[in-house]
Amino acid sequence: MERRLWQHLDWPLLLAVMALTCVGLATIYSVTWNLATGAPGGEFWRQVYAVPVGLVALIACLVVDYRTLAQRSPLFYVAMILALVAVMAFGVEAKGSRRWVNLGVGSLQPSEFARLALALVLAMVYGDARRRARSMGELMVGALVLAPAFILIFLQPDLGTASMLLPVYFGIAYMAGLRMRWVVGAVVVAALLSPVVWAYGLQDYQKGRVMTFLDPYKDPKGAGYQQIQARVTVGSGGMLGKGFKQGTQGAYRFLPESHNDFVFAVLAEEQGFVGVITVLGLYLFVIWRSLEAARLARDRVGAFLVVGLVSWFLCQVVYNITMQAGLVPVKGLTLPLMSYGGSSLVATLGGFGLILNVRMRRFTN
Amino acid sequence: MVTPGASGAFGDRQSTESRLIGLRVISLVLFVFLAGSFWVLQVLQYSEHLERAKRNHTRTLPLLAPRGVLFDRHGEVLVQNRRSFRIAIVREQATDVPASIRRLAAITHADEAQMLAIVQRRKSDPIFRPIAVIDHATDAQVAAVVAQQLELPEIVVEQVPTRTYPVGGLAAHLFGYVGEVQPAQLVRTEFAGLSQGAIVGQAGVEQVYNTQLMGTDGNRFVNVDSRGREVEELQRQDPVDGQRVQLTIDADMQRALEDAFRADGYNGAAAFIDPASGEVLALTSLPAYDPNDFAAGISSSVWQALNADPLRPLGNRLIQGLYMPGSTFKIVMAIAALEEGIITPDSVIGCRGSGVFYGRSFKCWNTKGHGAMTLRHALEQSCNVFFYTLGERMNIDTINKWATKLGLLGKTGIDLPQENASFMPSTEWAARTRSDGRWYPGETISVAIGQGAVSVSPMAMAMMMATVGNGGTLQTPHLVKAVDRGKGKGWEPVPGPGPRSTFAMRPNNLAAVREGLWMAVNTPRGTATARGKIEGKDVSGKTGTAQVISNDNKAAAQAAARAAGRNPAIFDDHGWFVFFAPRDKPEVAGVVFTEHSEHGYLSAPIAKHVMETYFAKKEGRPLPVYHSPAAPGGGR
Repeated sequence: MERRLWQHLDWPLLLAVMALTCVGLATIYSVTWNLATGAPGGEFWRQVYAVPVGLVALIACLVVDYRTLAQRSPLFYVAMILALVAVMAFGVEAKGSRRWVNLGVGSLQPSEFARLALALVLAMVYGDARRRARSMGELMVGALVLAPAFILIFLQPDLGTASMLLPVYFGIAYMAGLRMRWVVGAVVVAALLSPVVWAYGLQDYQKGRVMTFLDPYKDPKGAGYQQIQARVTVGSGGMLGKGFKQGTQGAYRFLPESHNDFVFAVLAEEQGFVGVITVLGLYLFVIWRSLEAARLARDRVGAFLVVGLVSWFLCQVVYNITMQAGLVPVKGLTLPLMSYGGSSLVATLGGFGLILNVRMRRFTN
Repeated sequence: MVTPGASGAFGDRQSTESRLIGLRVISLVLFVFLAGSFWVLQVLQYSEHLERAKRNHTRTLPLLAPRGVLFDRHGEVLVQNRRSFRIAIVREQATDVPASIRRLAAITHADEAQMLAIVQRRKSDPIFRPIAVIDHATDAQVAAVVAQQLELPEIVVEQVPTRTYPVGGLAAHLFGYVGEVQPAQLVRTEFAGLSQGAIVGQAGVEQVYNTQLMGTDGNRFVNVDSRGREVEELQRQDPVDGQRVQLTIDADMQRALEDAFRADGYNGAAAFIDPASGEVLALTSLPAYDPNDFAAGISSSVWQALNADPLRPLGNRLIQGLYMPGSTFKIVMAIAALEEGIITPDSVIGCRGSGVFYGRSFKCWNTKGHGAMTLRHALEQSCNVFFYTLGERMNIDTINKWATKLGLLGKTGIDLPQENASFMPSTEWAARTRSDGRWYPGETISVAIGQGAVSVSPMAMAMMMATVGNGGTLQTPHLVKAVDRGKGKGWEPVPGPGPRSTFAMRPNNLAAVREGLWMAVNTPRGTATARGKIEGKDVSGKTGTAQVISNDNKAAAQAAARAAGRNPAIFDDHGWFVFFAPRDKPEVAGVVFTEHSEHGYLSAPIAKHVMETYFAKKEGRPLPVYHSPAAPGGGR
């Protein structure tokens, strides 16, 4: 790689990404701290080991020109589909779904990497071919690319991760000229149809879930438990928080998944509103700085690739953090960069490798 | 041809730029919304959420204060505490209380319905407060619960201090017993601040001195995890032990008293008083219960048996039983006649075995007659005719006045619960309660020998003797000598409640009465000779019998009882012995009352044994061993 390329590396973005990773590590350290042994839990060390792997992924996604990667993207896409099929066949079942394959040294969650392949393919589909996304037919091309990955992940079943492929698709379609009228129209239709769906389309248990979300105190020890405890965890942090390792909600397991999906609630509990604002600011900085990379990109492929990845990042971060505030139903979605989960961290850092790649090569031909 | 450069290298620049700005705006709006949400949760609703978080993870576990230890007057421990365990449920932690109880019942083999009933009864308690469902759990039950703690985070094992009383129910009616505070009691000011399930004194000293003995429970504030496991202790508020209380009781005299009663096979009551102060040295009422049964949570079968027992073991005969004083009342008559100037110590009255008063013949117990005698000999031999004559010369109100001065009217004021008032008739009483409003002088003749409308408690009789013993000061009997309020202050003496009334008996009158009482115990003709006499101790006393039924009706009643298959002995007279010693400077005075013993002198050996114990202890001699004069199965 040429020397001057390093000069164009977006160091502020990389630093912000690493800062969020470290905040996540510290929060996991705190919440898994074991009073009896005086040591952090095994989750912390597994997450620590994921960091160098993630950095390798980041560099791997950085060193080769993104256009080369985009041109090879059909290969990655097929590999990803095969991996997802392998999960269906050989995956490890946990909590009623198959998401992981055991690699001996550790387990891998291929669905986390699907969005990278998808973003590369869609950037090619709409960017390189100068295809627009203005007609239904043009939109369908992308949807066909999306469908196999979405269905395979949905069948694991992992609706959350599958849903998070949609922002990649819509983000790129948006950049490719998706008519805003259609978006508005779709929203209006959905709003009009929702009573019909409620009356005829939903099973009783699904209605129950919605009702529990709307009023978690109906079932405070069951379905509403996580939602209530998330709010209590966040709210009890106050302005300045209870302090590092001083949280009670996560550490004493009143809030389940406190090192994982609800790591942000623990941060809010221990570091308070000040910590929340700091981390929200870092995330917003990462998003804006990445969008800047899209703006500076030398071609549509680069811009679309970045927007596809940022759209996913924005949606998952916002959904997860909204979930911490108890404002959306609890779904098994991690907070990118901060939550426990090696595959998620490695895939996310790889994604930022691609974003850095686009900005770094804005002057090259 | 587009030029490569910083501004990008592809068409639709305008569109791309504006759409990117759109994304920026969307992300900014979302993040501002998020920040606002967290502001609401963390700043506006902070205290509410903090409170909930605290309730989640902190538990307040009670540390129960042991009740104060009771000592005897010489520092011997009488009542103390041991550790036992109870198993409780914290409903806040339970998703399904009946299911938890069912599992608990399965592993402890305890009664599920009973535990559910306990929880139901306490349903208005705060939800975080543990409700004890198994009191005094066995080691096996505790082990079972501890082993299942992970599955049953809502079940907790609590250590509770439990009262231990001397074996065999010693001084049961003195100590009383403890039990859970009743819902109806919680409204009383003395129980303010207590919660349901608190253990309080329900009888005896435990009840009267409950406030001092109870102490203050402490608390442990602990962090628990979501499974209820204790993670760390945050704060500890140690319990404050109940105050240590030193009773006026002498443990050796108490044991001697009950040993003697049991050896003789009598039920009854007795009290031994320091006449100078009113301190009670020993007291009993038999039959009794075992306070340990109550301390361990009394079973309903034991409780029902105690209540159903016709001998009424829960009643304290000493202060609740009211009986005719019989010949012991002659002491009151003697003092009244002397102090009123009706007779002098040397006045002589003759006895021919009976006498006619108000047109009716009254018999002396010695139908041959005692001959001419002074007061001393009348007391010595308990001559009825002598005292009939005094009754003829005094009206009932004068007798009432002196009986009152000697403590035979009203309550003695002892610090035990539910005392009954002793009763003496008067013309005022007759006017108030009788249909014809009259008191008949002939009745006064019966009262003169302690029969008819007189009913006194054994405790009142003991105080009468204490008053004669100290020359006219009617003390209030009391049971507490000192308390140790803790904080290292040591024993603080508790002053007695002071005398109820006092009068100064003229010395020669006092000497005559004491002489007569001494003769009753120490001369060959005395009614209690050889039964109550202690060499060198000048025991002075008087026997008496309390009729259960009048002599005229007794034979018929006993025959009827026999026919009905009941023990005719229930109509046998009760025996009184009242006493003090030594004669000239009494150190101990009191009463022994034996139910259905028929003869007062049969009470005397018990009194003698206790007094011998007193003197032996005082003089550093070995304590005596009781030899019952009553042959087994007989002697009544």
